[in-house]
Amino acid sequence: MTGNGMDTTRERLELRSRMSELAQIFPWIERLASRHAIPANTQFAMNLCLEEVLSNIIRHGYSGQAGHSIAVRFASPRKDYYIFSVEDEAPPFNPVEAPELPALNALDDTGVGGQGIRLLRRFADALEYQSTPTGNRLSIGFIAAGSATAKD
Amino acid sequence: MPISTEELNGGITRVILEGRLDIEGAAAVDMRMNVIAGTKTAVLVDLQKVSFLGSMGLRALVAPARAIKGRGGKIVLFGPNEMVEKVLKTSGVDAMIPIHHELQNAIAALQ
Repeated sequence: MTGNGMDTTRERLELRSRMSELAQIFPWIERLASRHAIPANTQFAMNLCLEEVLSNIIRHGYSGQAGHSIAVRFASPRKDYYIFSVEDEAPPFNPVEAPELPALNALDDTGVGGQGIRLLRRFADALEYQSTPTGNRLSIGFIAAGSATAKD
Repeated sequence: MPISTEELNGGITRVILEGRLDIEGAAAVDMRMNVIAGTKTAVLVDLQKVSFLGSMGLRALVAPARAIKGRGGKIVLFGPNEMVEKVLKTSGVDAMIPIHHELQNAIAALQ
C-alpha cells in the first residue's frame, strides 16, 4: 500500500468518506487504462459510474459523515472486460433495484436528482448487488467500447 | 475547471467551459454560472472542450438554464463530444436545453 491509499499491485483503491477523496478516481482510472489499454469511451463510462456510486455512498450511505471507508477493486477477468467491485459499510442499499426517476423534460421544474441511477444503468454493461454482513458490495462491469460485445 | 465568457453580436453571451465537469468542476463553475444565469438572457454554453460530464455537472447546467428560462431568456448547448452528449440525452437535458453542433445554428436559436 502506498502513502496515497493506492495499492497498484492488487489494483485496489481505498477511499475515506469525504467528497474530496473522489479526486483520486480519475487518475486511478487513467493508470488502469494505460496498463490495460482501456478505450477512452469506456474510461468515460467508468469515471461516470464510479463518481455516481461513490458520491452516493458518501452523501447518502454514510450521510456525509467522515471516518468511514470504501474499497474499490479492479479486475479484468478476460480481454475487453473490466469489473469494479465497490464495498462499503453503509446501511443496505441496492442500486440495481432502486426506482429510477423519469428523465428530465422541458416542463420539469424540480432538481436533477435521481439521474445518477439512470446514468449508472445506461453506462455500465453489468451491475450486480450483494448485501454483505457489514454493508454492501456492488460490482460494475464494462465491456471495452468498440469490442464485438460492446453496447454501443 | 476554467470558465470564460465572451459577448457575441445580438446580446448573446458565450460561456466557454473547459475540462472535466465532475463534482470538482461543477463546484468550480457554479457561482459564475449562477451570476450569468441571473444577469444574461441569451446564453450559449460552449462544451467543445468539456471532456467529462457527470450528474453534478448536469446540475451546474440545468439550474442556470431554469433560471434563465424563468426570466424569459434562452440558453443552448454547443458542441458536446459524443460521450458528453450521451450523458445529456440519457438524462433528458436535451429536452430542456437544445443541443447544437453548428455555431450558426446555436446562435440562430438564441435570436
